[in-house]
Amino acid sequence: MSVPKLEQLSKSVVQGPSLATGAIPKVDWTELPVEFKSGNYAYPAKKDKVEYLNSQKGLYFPNAREWSPEDDDWKFPENWKEIIIKGLAERLNKFRSLKIFMDCCVRCGACADKCHFFLGTGDPRNMPVMRAELLRSIYRNDFTLAGKVLGKMAGGRELTVGVLKEWFMYSYQCTECRRCSVFCPYGIDTAEITMMMRELLHLVGVGINWILEPVSNSNRTGNHMGLQPHTFKDNVDFLADDIENLTGIRITPTFNRKGAEVLFITPSADVFAEPGLYTAMGYLLLFEHIGIDYTWSTYASEGGNFGLFTNNESMKKLNAKMYAEARRLGVKFIIGGECGHMWRVLHQYMDTMNGPADFLEVPKSPMTGTVFSNAASTKMVHISEFTADLIKHGKLSIDKSRNSHVKATFHDSCNPARAMGLLDEPRYILDHVVDWVEMPENTIRERTFCCGSGTGLNTDEIMELRMRSGLPRANAVKYVEDRHGVNTLACVCAIDRATLTSLMGYWNPNVTVCGISELVGNSLVMDGETRGELEEGLRTMVF
Amino acid sequence: MTLEEALRNNRYKIVDRWVAYTLTTYEASSFFLKEKDAFANPIGATVRDALKKLFALLMQDAESEQLKEPLSRMMHLRSVQDFSPAQAVAPLNAVKHITREVLAADKETAPLTAELYDFEFRVDLAMLAAFDLYVACREKIYQLRIDEIKSGKHTLTDGGCPSQALKNIAGTKG
Repeated sequence: MSVPKLEQLSKSVVQGPSLATGAIPKVDWTELPVEFKSGNYAYPAKKDKVEYLNSQKGLYFPNAREWSPEDDDWKFPENWKEIIIKGLAERLNKFRSLKIFMDCCVRCGACADKCHFFLGTGDPRNMPVMRAELLRSIYRNDFTLAGKVLGKMAGGRELTVGVLKEWFMYSYQCTECRRCSVFCPYGIDTAEITMMMRELLHLVGVGINWILEPVSNSNRTGNHMGLQPHTFKDNVDFLADDIENLTGIRITPTFNRKGAEVLFITPSADVFAEPGLYTAMGYLLLFEHIGIDYTWSTYASEGGNFGLFTNNESMKKLNAKMYAEARRLGVKFIIGGECGHMWRVLHQYMDTMNGPADFLEVPKSPMTGTVFSNAASTKMVHISEFTADLIKHGKLSIDKSRNSHVKATFHDSCNPARAMGLLDEPRYILDHVVDWVEMPENTIRERTFCCGSGTGLNTDEIMELRMRSGLPRANAVKYVEDRHGVNTLACVCAIDRATLTSLMGYWNPNVTVCGISELVGNSLVMDGETRGELEEGLRTMVF
Repeated sequence: MTLEEALRNNRYKIVDRWVAYTLTTYEASSFFLKEKDAFANPIGATVRDALKKLFALLMQDAESEQLKEPLSRMMHLRSVQDFSPAQAVAPLNAVKHITREVLAADKETAPLTAELYDFEFRVDLAMLAAFDLYVACREKIYQLRIDEIKSGKHTLTDGGCPSQALKNIAGTKG
């Protein structure tokens, strides 16, 4: 029997250019159409959600309709081209950063191999420079003299339906994690380019349901899942019941209490889904331990802000809700829980959109007297900053051995790390509450790899995409698992807690995921506790 | 020279070509081939490490259990990337052709190609095992999807809320 030659094997098995990783393209990337198929795109937003959002004050989501990425005809409005060009012109005027980012890239390629989507797929259009080029080529064509005269030769290309489809494909294969920006010598924030592509697509009625439904829920009831006040309260009370079973300590959290010193806001996932629930139990124990005068809110019941993943108007409106509630309750300042993108909105946009929050006071820890001057304008302090300060001043009674079942490593969640510089506080806490090791240095701190599912890409229909974009992170976790026996991946982001759980389930099934505050809660020695041996800390099942 | 010696002497050359062939199935193959840092290039590093281990095992008629680890790493990678099932496993088969070509190219080892039947049969068995692992990875993906759907969304309505369920059990419906 003759054995087929290697070339024949390639030819017979690998056929034609495939979208993400398949074969070598036979035409220039600008002429290669994107192909949508099950598993490589997130489901379009439901028509009624888009209509609802468009009917709301301050929001603009026109051209609601039924459509499918797999159809040739996306049913764009007739004047789609005019809408996009006009939208781009408006944004170039409004956002100076966008204009600079469009002009100053010299295509040096420093960002090219830094993106987790590129590293997991090998698709050149996932190089940040190329992803930006999808928009930049239109900008050159229609907004620069060189492009108008020279067209293609000046890197311009005509806006077509195919270009919009490309934008949809690749602006939803970017988690706005901003790792590429760290390496850009000009500091181009590619996340903002992705944001603009998404904004422009919303103008022609193109968005995904996993983002727009939470935005609409948040606008209506205050949180992503649409939990109503009584349900939100019941869930937190349920966690207090669990804490009582585990430790004998009865905690009675308050809700919407006027005159409390502090308003506490955290992602709603912390009160309704594992493993965030254990992080929320950690918050409850910590606040009880120090006796702080604080309240939860059933209206500002969401730290997350999926508006950031749609357009600036939605982001502004959802962010404003937290401050409206702080004003209504008359608190002095806000403590924010372990959320990722909430902190990006806070540190990079809040002040311009809704600030300064002059009706609040600069956060000052009632326990230690420390003034958090870094939050002088936003008046919102991160739970890890707050906790690290408590530990530093010896205000917590900690028994590290209560985490002896844990060998942790720390995943720097993209937004706290790169958008607010929260690098050392979580590490300081970990040093005091658990045995832990770092992952390799080019995968941590400001160079951290994304979970692969941020910016509203944490939906199940694109699980394969999420698994390949999360590969660089999982690969680094595997290294410390193999080398140091790490069994827990700690992080400070609710999306991370949910999506890293799936990522670990696929790549490193022996590693569980937790929040930093869960490890703090595990280790706290509470006054009057009647705690037995909790072999798995707050996760121990007690009957 | 025995076949075993020939394979051992040529193992670096064969594995290098096998890795290169596998990585050319990715559009950005030149980067995956060039970058040596395992954390800056997880696909390249995983493929290189897994194929190196696999070849060492194929040379020595290893137990099929032993093949699982490197094969599983390859399949974890390729089953979530944009390949058809055949495309996902095809590069494993390439080692047969590469080995044959490498041995045939040298006068001294050329006659040994007639003895490759057992080696190639082991590759065939590894291919079959890889299909099983490919499917296991796909099933894992669907299981993860189900797990995500199950976790949390039940709290959307009061009826499915855990605290409500507990109250119902306790007979204090409220």
